[in-house]
Amino acid sequence: MSLIHEQLRAKFNIVLSRYPVDQKQSAVIPLLHLLQEDLGGHITLEGQREVADFLGIPVAKVHEVVTFYTMLSEKPRGKNHLLVCRTLPCALSGCESVINAIHTKLNVKPGEVTLDGKFSYEEVECLAQCHLGPVLQVRDQVHGNLTPESAIQLIDKLGK
Amino acid sequence: MTDFQKYLTKNFDNPAALTLDGYVASGGYVALKKALGMQPVEIIDLVKAANLRGRGGAGFPAGVKWGFLAKTDGPKYLCVNADEGEPGTFKDGPLMEYDPHQLIEGVAIACFALGIHSAYIYIRGEFYNSIRAVERAVQDCYKKGVLGKGVLGTSFALDIAVHPGAGAYICGEETGLLSSLEGKKGMPKLKPPFPAVKGLWGCPTIVNNVETLACVPHIINVGADAWNALGCEKNGGTKLYCVSGHVVKPGYYELPHSTTLRQLIYDVCGGTKPGRTLKAVVPGGSSSPILLPEEIDVRMDFDSLGKIGTMLGSAAVIVMDDSVSMVRALHNLLHFYSHESCGQCTPCREGTHWLHVILERIVNGQGKIEDLDRIQDICGNMVGNTICVLADAAVLPTQSYIKKFRPEFEQYIRAGKRVSLLGGLIETVPVGAH
Repeated sequence: MSLIHEQLRAKFNIVLSRYPVDQKQSAVIPLLHLLQEDLGGHITLEGQREVADFLGIPVAKVHEVVTFYTMLSEKPRGKNHLLVCRTLPCALSGCESVINAIHTKLNVKPGEVTLDGKFSYEEVECLAQCHLGPVLQVRDQVHGNLTPESAIQLIDKLGK
Repeated sequence: MTDFQKYLTKNFDNPAALTLDGYVASGGYVALKKALGMQPVEIIDLVKAANLRGRGGAGFPAGVKWGFLAKTDGPKYLCVNADEGEPGTFKDGPLMEYDPHQLIEGVAIACFALGIHSAYIYIRGEFYNSIRAVERAVQDCYKKGVLGKGVLGTSFALDIAVHPGAGAYICGEETGLLSSLEGKKGMPKLKPPFPAVKGLWGCPTIVNNVETLACVPHIINVGADAWNALGCEKNGGTKLYCVSGHVVKPGYYELPHSTTLRQLIYDVCGGTKPGRTLKAVVPGGSSSPILLPEEIDVRMDFDSLGKIGTMLGSAAVIVMDDSVSMVRALHNLLHFYSHESCGQCTPCREGTHWLHVILERIVNGQGKIEDLDRIQDICGNMVGNTICVLADAAVLPTQSYIKKFRPEFEQYIRAGKRVSLLGGLIETVPVGAH
């Protein structure tokens, strides 16, 4: 059975309509975002093959995009994937203690998923919310002015 | 400074402006209507006369850039650079999230002036809220005749599409952005040919920053003289400044282009926190050379900062107080640049990596004094030897931190201990470190 089911295919076609008919490859990033969301957080090799076939391009061209961009992942992620900023403005605001607290609380390394499948986290570069530092982002939610305590409270809330 | 009239941020407290009707009620799309009645060349001349400087970082005059667009009967494109990622910068996100129609109006005016019928807004993938706001606004515009076959009832046709990125600092470089928009790795391309001649899909393309285009409707509305009067010589208009780090009130602030760095830090942001003193200031994003406290009586425009050996860049001010270890601050930044180098040019891929490795060694208390010269040597082999300026962006802060804080670097190396970024605490060296 195809990973690009009927509903997803309809979304793919809307995206594709934004680009010239002879420039289908341009749609690869938006399509991969849609597929990754549909697959629950990561893109399998089979998924990459199907996107390549859909666009009529070699799978290598899809694979190099998946591996180049940090938001796209071949590895499974937790239901809540925490992007924790580590760059200078957040560091000046004390993100290191927040990252340590998250690490201790979740008891996994960056990029690993907790046993219950609920969480994973990674340290990322500037999320462009520097006035709110320390900052972390979960999907479309930005959480700012974090302390070690508030970060743990957030994890408890998301885990419920 | 508080009674200063806002232009770019005037709708930020007016959620109604997120809708087309609300934006029109706030005076929106008047400029587009006016522009559609002008000659395209008049619009370009007006933007030139208004001294609108590119707000993405380079400060290149926007009207002049528009003038470079190759004449062709074939397709040409406008790409909006909304891949905001320079550390310390957080202005384009709010501009899209809180007033998406202002950007669309700017895009439409620019496209009309340039005879372009297709524009792409390349938005950083993590900006879910901006993507949503701009997509909704674009759809609203199609429904109500602002975009599509006949813009506002004229014969001018314009399509705008939103394109999300997926997490790569390098896509903020205009040719890297175009590679990414073509569905490839975001690797920059050698210039020339410049995008204005050969850009997206090989066609003439203008790439402009969000804030640059958001200024355009206001220039049409108030005229070049009034826009110039808001700023200073050769730097027209108001400017969005981002302030982060050790100030009482961090945030983004729309201010006259003539504001000084001291005014910004002390009058607008309330200065450093109680009991702390100023140690260093990054004036224009992490890639700009750092300034000392005695250098902050400088106007925050592209030329004044250039004269003292730094740059306005993306106008991202990062303030550091006396609790900061400059060695650790530089180490943090070099992690960023080595992570974000796209890897196609050897001097950048290797250079950023080795700079980071050496700094890591110093940070862990195992540095040598000669390392400081070795860093200079590596820097010298990076600048100007690469396709894009990411290598330069790593070198400029590196050289300035070491030049201006050399005694601190030497002291750190001699002490041979790992010191925290903040507060001067001795840390244990992590297991597995060099």
